[in-house]
Amino acid sequence: MTPNPFGSFVTESPEDVAPTVGFSKADIKQGRFDITIFDLGGGKQIRGIWKNYYAESYGVVFVIDSSDVDRMEETKETVAEVLRHPRIAGKPVLVLANKQDREGAMAEADIIEYLSLEKLVNEHKCLCQIEPCSAALGYGKKIDTHIRKGLNWLLGVIAKDFEALHERIQRETAEQKAQEEQDKQKIAERVKRLREEREEREREEAE
Amino acid sequence: MGEVQKGLMSLVEELRKVEHLNDNGVRIVLLGLDNAGKTTILTRLALEEASSITPTQGFNIKSVQSHGLKLSVWDIGGQRSIRTHWKRYLGSTDLLIYVVDSADRKRFEETGQELAELVEEDNLVGVPLLVFANKQDLLTAAPAADIAAGLNLHTYRDRTWQIQACSAISGEGIQDGMNWICKNITAKKK
Ligand SMILES: Nc1nc2c(ncn2[C@@H]2O[C@H](COP(=O)(O)OP(=O)(O)OP(=O)(O)O)[C@@H](O)[C@H]2O)c(=O)[nH]1
Ligand SMILES: Nc1nc2c(ncn2[C@@H]2O[C@H](COP(=O)(O)OP(=O)(O)OP(=O)(O)O)[C@@H](O)[C@H]2O)c(=O)[nH]1
Ligand SMILES: [Mg+2]
Ligand SMILES: [Mg+2]
Repeated sequence: MTPNPFGSFVTESPEDVAPTVGFSKADIKQGRFDITIFDLGGGKQIRGIWKNYYAESYGVVFVIDSSDVDRMEETKETVAEVLRHPRIAGKPVLVLANKQDREGAMAEADIIEYLSLEKLVNEHKCLCQIEPCSAALGYGKKIDTHIRKGLNWLLGVIAKDFEALHERIQRETAEQKAQEEQDKQKIAERVKRLREEREEREREEAE
Repeated sequence: MGEVQKGLMSLVEELRKVEHLNDNGVRIVLLGLDNAGKTTILTRLALEEASSITPTQGFNIKSVQSHGLKLSVWDIGGQRSIRTHWKRYLGSTDLLIYVVDSADRKRFEETGQELAELVEEDNLVGVPLLVFANKQDLLTAAPAADIAAGLNLHTYRDRTWQIQACSAISGEGIQDGMNWICKNITAKKK
């Protein structure tokens, strides 16, 4: 999910967007909410980083290219993998069936069926809404109303269950931070050892 | 002109150029371990031929025009003895390019550690980060995800970052990186 539908929110033009092989975030205001959206690259090479952001997320927006029927199987597996993750299960998920302006785009109902979305969200206790949309149709103020509707739905369910969600997110974020700190220490030790070994070698070579 | 005098003149010339760039330009700093390919990338960015590049003892600076922006790109030597001076070059940096030799897996964690220490600097708070995963022409080059993991990039939540696979030798990926740079600088300067 990139400038894609949310380019709309950060009022950039959706043209000329390059693949995201990384991370960026956008802070937006929607009514009484201050929202931070993490935009993570979706390519196979970088998908591995997603899980690092699950702990601190209150909800998920999953953007699908509805016109890319050939990759619907990959989409299915990927959506399932996300919802199955212990730090996502139980959180609300908005699926944007994007690129509806394209010829041959799969309709909402067909996508639900193809992805076995109902079964999936029941299994993992995720509240879910799917919105057909087109991020290419206008940006800035003229954002596709379906995207706005979807986001409003997501914010609504987050607000409704906010306390429990907030408590969970604080706990899991703390766990994640502790893990990251531990990993950092381990890396620092390994690097230190590597440097010492090298210096040792250089000293020996100099003699 | 005697050698000494010539040296002095070129130094004055160099400094004038530097001051000039500081006045109008966008400042970009290229960092990374020794042998990562920083200087080779710099010559590519400046659309010059890369001929006989040797390890950088101090720094190189080039002015690059792109997307209607004037960028001054600083390339600083990555040898261990020089790394301690990196901090001196960071004043009002608009964007950081960090170059990694994608085939040098043994040093991913070391280069990650250097980067982690670097981004803590006050001058780099919130500054967008482009990682050039260089030397992709080598068969043993690691993919972007491995480099992201090696550099612990997922812990960098306070800034936009992007990994651009490239080869400074073939030139592949360099222009894509440049496009990303310009997009993210204009976004910030607006
Ligand atoms: N026709 C059409 N094209 C779209 C639409 N939304 C995005 N695109 C185009 O699809 C391409 C990919 O869009 P991105 O926003 O880069 O997709 P992304 O999900 O961010 O991709 P990654 O960054 O690789 O994860 C771009 O060329 C967009 O212009 C849409 O609704 N309709
Ligand atoms: N195969 C391959 N070799 C490269 C590439 N880029 C640079 N090199 C080589 O790597 C070596 C180091 O390149 P430099 O540009 O001097 O590296 P540097 O990062 O400036 O190194 P220091 O100045 O010591 O910090 C040179 O022999 C380059 O020819 C690349 O994309 N592919
Ligand atoms: Mg994207
Ligand atoms: Mg150099």
